[in-house]
Amino acid sequence: MESFVKAFRNTLKSPEDGIESLRTEAFEEFSKTGVPNSRHEYWKFSDPSVILNLDLKLNESLDNIDEDYDLILCNGKISKNKTKGRTGSISEGIKKGDISERVLEVNGNPFINLNSAFAINGCYINLERNSTNNLKILNLITNNEEIEQAVYPKLVIVAEENSNTTILEEFRISGKGTNFVNSAMNIFMAQGANLEHIILDDYADDTYHIANIGVEQKKDSNYVSHNFSIGKKFARRDFNIKLTETGANCDLNGIYFASNKEHIDHHTTIEHMQNNCTSNEHYKGILDGKAIAVFNGRIHVHPDAQKTDAIQSNQNLLLSDDAIIHTKPELEIYADDVKCTHGATVGQLDEKAMFYLKTRGLNQNDAKRLLMRAYVGEIIQKISDDNIRKQMMEIVVDKLPKGTND
Amino acid sequence: MIKIENLHVEVDGNKILNGINLEVKAGETHAIMGPNGSGKSTLAQVLAGHEDYDVTEGNVEYLGKDLLDMDVDERACEGIFLAFQYPVELPGVNNTYFLKSALNAQRKYHGESEIDAMEFMELIGDKIKLLNLKESLLKRPVNDGFSGGEKKRNEIFQMAVLEPKLALLDETDSGLDIDALRVVAGGVNAMRSNENATIVVTHYQRLLNYIVPDFVHVLVDGRIINSGDKNLALELEEKGYDKIIEEAAG
Repeated sequence: MESFVKAFRNTLKSPEDGIESLRTEAFEEFSKTGVPNSRHEYWKFSDPSVILNLDLKLNESLDNIDEDYDLILCNGKISKNKTKGRTGSISEGIKKGDISERVLEVNGNPFINLNSAFAINGCYINLERNSTNNLKILNLITNNEEIEQAVYPKLVIVAEENSNTTILEEFRISGKGTNFVNSAMNIFMAQGANLEHIILDDYADDTYHIANIGVEQKKDSNYVSHNFSIGKKFARRDFNIKLTETGANCDLNGIYFASNKEHIDHHTTIEHMQNNCTSNEHYKGILDGKAIAVFNGRIHVHPDAQKTDAIQSNQNLLLSDDAIIHTKPELEIYADDVKCTHGATVGQLDEKAMFYLKTRGLNQNDAKRLLMRAYVGEIIQKISDDNIRKQMMEIVVDKLPKGTND
Repeated sequence: MIKIENLHVEVDGNKILNGINLEVKAGETHAIMGPNGSGKSTLAQVLAGHEDYDVTEGNVEYLGKDLLDMDVDERACEGIFLAFQYPVELPGVNNTYFLKSALNAQRKYHGESEIDAMEFMELIGDKIKLLNLKESLLKRPVNDGFSGGEKKRNEIFQMAVLEPKLALLDETDSGLDIDALRVVAGGVNAMRSNENATIVVTHYQRLLNYIVPDFVHVLVDGRIINSGDKNLALELEEKGYDKIIEEAAG
């Protein structure tokens, strides 16, 4: 805890940013709860208390990277911002009234509070009414000194009425050292807004990544995410979706890979708060070596949410005898006229299919890759943008686990 | 081309083949007939290299090499093709992508470069006509949602593209109506040459009206009890397996 306290105090020495009091409240709440451990129900299989053993320093360095992105957050700070419309740092957004103070309000999740406490940086983007946007965002973490460091990227997206947006968001790490990346994102979707959000986490370095994505959806809005978590030491991503008005829809699609002793966790919560909302969740994992994965999909149907239609599916492919998956659907339904389905599967590569492919001349490795390609392809093909779909297919196929049991 | 000597095979300790002897030369077509459970399909699966079958005795020489020593994919690359009795569905694997991967795997094995995209499209265009298959099947996942007839035609289509030296047709006629049977047989016949050979495994004689064999072997309880020319198949059809088995025993 000490390293957090020290780092937080340092942030108060900087020139005032107008959100010190909000940040301090968040930090005090975090200090009260501390870092959760496996005794907590929601952290049962993923114990983040290991980060307490690290001597975490807040990385505030800012490298000027000019790559082909609309927004680059370097260690959580804006390094490049070519987005149109109203945008800026979190404190600017709050000062101008473009975003609500609620993005920093105290939360039940300690890591969101921790992220808010360090929200000196971060960025908000306002997507104007009726606009069409294609945004490429890079979350770059640099660790030039190869130290144990913490980074707290915060991103707030406000999608106004009937805006139509595709966001490709990448997390990338350069340099060695140990990284604790605690990212948080708030997405507010007004009536009729459309957002397709592609997330690519691609680093196998010594990284602990805890990510929280909160989405609030108004009437007839549509949020679709494609989440590619393809390799890191310890990672957890939570989605908290609130379908607050009638006719809202969310699709949560995801692929996760874990090999060796990697640990990957997805906790999703979809709150169906009003009638006639739909949600569709499909996550697929491939696990290898001694990897551990967790999938916890919670669907909460409130009493007013009649005519809810919620579908959830989690499938897992185990390439080794030692890999472990904890998968759990969690349905809480308080309305009577609803349709909720869920399913979880765990399996190996189909032996018959492997034999069939080999009788056509494909070797063990190529046959395996072909089947895995098909397996992940089911999720990737849901991306509507042709170029991003092709790009993701290439990246994901390139990162397919090798399979250690042969 | 292939010489099978005293082949004994077990599955989970159960003896299925009890000393098969069979030689097939280039240019020949052999039919293996037999009642259900006689070991016909096992023979085809063993030659293709299925790992569930244990060869306990005997040997198989293929093009001068020890076949039993080769992996499944190696056998395929050396020209052995098994047309499955029950073709496997591969959801999510595009039929064209699959075929191209298979063809390129075999080319790579022989030290050849990958096939040019145009050349490949021309090749499959020619072969698909031969099997009277709808072009739309090329864009669909392999065998996924195909009718029984489409699956069998797709097997022979793959065979036409891969141009094997030794084709093993395992009950290719099962589930085919008469028109589909003609098309499939036409495809197989179009590929017959002095360079390659075919082993047709079948329960019924009717396929052999269309794919006329040079030799017919009757397999019973894992042994070949009788061999002859195409007339043996007609005799079988007329008399039934019991009678032939009786005669062989007598």
